[in-house]
Amino acid sequence: MLRFMINRAGQSAILLLIVTLITFFLVNLAPGGPSSTMRMEATEEERQAIVEKLGLDQPVHIRYVEWLKNGLHGDFGTSFTSSEPVIQRIMERLPYTIELTIFTIVISVILGIFFGVISAVKRGKVGDHVINFVSVIGLSVPAFWLGLMLILLFSITFKWLPSSGVGPRGEDFELWGWISHLIMPVLILTTTVLPHIVRFTRSSMLEVTSQNYIRTARAKGAKESVVLYVHALRNALIPIITIIGMLIPRLLSGAVITEAIFGWTGIGTLIIEAARGRDYPLVMGITVMITLVVVFCNLIVDFLYSRVDPRVKNV
Amino acid sequence: MKSKKLKILSLFLLSFVLLFSGCNYGGGSSSTTSSGEGSEETTNGPRKGGKVTIPIVADPTFNPWHPIAYAESNVINRVIFSGLTQPGKDLLPAPDLAKDWSTSEDGLEWTFILRDDVKWHDGEKFTAEDVAFTFNEVALNKELGANNSSYFQKLKEVQVVDDYTVKFILESPVAALPAYLSFNTEIIPKHIFEGQDPWELTSFNKQKPVGTGSFKIKSYTSGQSVVLERNDDYYGEKAYLDEVEYKVLADANTHVAQLLSGELSIFALDDLAAIDRIKNAEGVEVVARDTTRFFWIILNQQLEQFQDVKVRQAVLHAIDRQNIIDTVLKGYGTIADTGIAPALKEYYTDDVKRYEYDPEQAKKLLAEAGLKDTNGDGLLDKDGKKFTIDFKIGIQGDIEAVSQMVQQYLKAVGLDVKLNTMEWNAMIQDVVVKRNYEMSLNWWRYPSDPDLSAYMHSANVKGNNIPAYQNSELDKLLDAGAQESDVEKRKEIYLEAQKMMAEQLPYIFLWYPQEAQVRVEKLKGVPDLAFGDALHYINEWYIEE
Repeated sequence: MLRFMINRAGQSAILLLIVTLITFFLVNLAPGGPSSTMRMEATEEERQAIVEKLGLDQPVHIRYVEWLKNGLHGDFGTSFTSSEPVIQRIMERLPYTIELTIFTIVISVILGIFFGVISAVKRGKVGDHVINFVSVIGLSVPAFWLGLMLILLFSITFKWLPSSGVGPRGEDFELWGWISHLIMPVLILTTTVLPHIVRFTRSSMLEVTSQNYIRTARAKGAKESVVLYVHALRNALIPIITIIGMLIPRLLSGAVITEAIFGWTGIGTLIIEAARGRDYPLVMGITVMITLVVVFCNLIVDFLYSRVDPRVKNV
Repeated sequence: MKSKKLKILSLFLLSFVLLFSGCNYGGGSSSTTSSGEGSEETTNGPRKGGKVTIPIVADPTFNPWHPIAYAESNVINRVIFSGLTQPGKDLLPAPDLAKDWSTSEDGLEWTFILRDDVKWHDGEKFTAEDVAFTFNEVALNKELGANNSSYFQKLKEVQVVDDYTVKFILESPVAALPAYLSFNTEIIPKHIFEGQDPWELTSFNKQKPVGTGSFKIKSYTSGQSVVLERNDDYYGEKAYLDEVEYKVLADANTHVAQLLSGELSIFALDDLAAIDRIKNAEGVEVVARDTTRFFWIILNQQLEQFQDVKVRQAVLHAIDRQNIIDTVLKGYGTIADTGIAPALKEYYTDDVKRYEYDPEQAKKLLAEAGLKDTNGDGLLDKDGKKFTIDFKIGIQGDIEAVSQMVQQYLKAVGLDVKLNTMEWNAMIQDVVVKRNYEMSLNWWRYPSDPDLSAYMHSANVKGNNIPAYQNSELDKLLDAGAQESDVEKRKEIYLEAQKMMAEQLPYIFLWYPQEAQVRVEKLKGVPDLAFGDALHYINEWYIEE
């Protein structure tokens, strides 16, 4: 187990290095520059003063080495677009994205496995077709469109739900205010995540239920629900865990479109801000964070494999 | 049993799908039930209380001079802070922190008499020291690269005469000084900034600004909102509103949605595509406001092939500007002849050379400039070579839509224009910083003063004179206008200058856009000004119940 951990840590470090290297050069060499130097009204003199103040008069590779050195000491610099520390900016936003992720994943996993199993059991029947049909719609309808439709319906026409924001927090916190702001973004994210889980559960269940030991279980007279949920589902879970393990980092790295439409101040909106303002330090900080999340989730998934299926040990 | 459950479920899902496919964006009924029972209440005048909500597209910076303070910060800073002057309701500079001002005979010294009853939001007294600090230590500090410092290139220093009198010492006369002092150049407190790097002081710039304006900060949450509350120690008329909230909403569609749902009170609509929907909605109104802006096309004057004035004139004749105004701008704009907008009533004139939509005339002018279709492909050539124009634009507002129409109009007279649409930031680097372009389309917004030297004087070829236009006669007029503080004489000069601008086209002037100001009907007391200027009078706004 220890060797496994060391191996993984080493791999992750190399991955992180490559990702940051590529990102650093990509953002720095992309056309344009930090928006404070790219104001239309700024004169040559003003631009030069700001470029020097931001330290951008140094060549890119020297800046990368500098960034890496500071980064290893936990210093990710100050954001160009706000003059605040990058870590502070990310930490301010991360809780909101985590909030969305948790609600989305919990709802999607519960509903997804439930509908997936039904779909597999009722294979070829009406229930299966309906679930498949709705899944395809969920996968293919763009989030921005559905988001605007929901706003049109619930915020403008019925005036039931607020169209954007995260609701009152801190002292003014109130339960309905919180939930009402969560409903639409979670709904949108669920429609993009849920179908994946449903479809994976379905195919995984179909594969497992056609195996011999399931027939044996049925033959020995076990109840159908026991067969499904105890014998089949447990073994069908492995691919499902994989897909969840892939979906979580995707959500945690900010559902950019959903967050933008609903004014949800998470990592997604921060990414837009950082990219638009060519906020190099912030882009780098977010990149490191997302890479770490992906690495960590993969690690957890590997660990869970061995818990669910004892045959998978020390992969 | 189970199949019954499934049927109910499928019915539910089906109805959900139908619900969405049934609502048609833009086409559906946008009417909503209004909350009041008595629909038409009589006006009972301003009353205290209430709040307005204004959208901003990104996190603000509470420091008007900070290089990262953009439009979203300006609309807050002019409410929290005060300048020496502010745009009057006639757009001429009006008193704010300065009660009165005068210029010396030679125009090299301006004396401003300050109010003596002004307090910073933290209770400290505002004095001449604050003014001197703001200009000497921040605006004129070359290393800082402060916003708008280019307005003060001729300013040597600000001297404190006594606690409530300051003198602006200039290298050469600047008649527009009082106008510049009303445009995003608010005064910041010396007692907080002294000895600090004004860009690094995040406790002020990003958390708790201290100003002198009619509202002060109540709370700020990054990415969400800024809430201001009434400043009861304000030196002017105290505000009626209790609070002003700025909501950070990056997406323009969300702005419209929130206006219609009553979550936003007022803003200037950028994307006019939604205008009809807003006009048809109940409880919301749209008003057209003149602004000091002009849209333009530029042909790079550093390139020989564009230096002939006939080419620029031909381009203007080739474009049906009225059609673009009617279609893309939904009528919110008037044809421009020069850069001086009708909003500047004192100086504006349309008694200049005008360019009707006339493709034949355009072709004739191009032929006179030596452009001929020698190989019969319908496109013009010069000296036997293909004549193509690289047309670089940035994506913002309606620039892209307009540029596509321009491209078609120019093609119709034989100009082979290659449209190159770029991300905004990248466009700035190419067109503005590197000057690596042949043709571009954009707009300028300027303080309420006719001095357009920054944009077309040959001294500013490295500055905002992006077309690199150089004409010593126009320079002379611009200099004369910039230095003359007598309004009548100034008018004469700018009438002359406008004639020359229209004739020579340093910029190919397109139109003066009007602002489509959208707001909820119960918001009253907003003066008849563009949204940005009306914010200076936010203390007069009130909510009518």
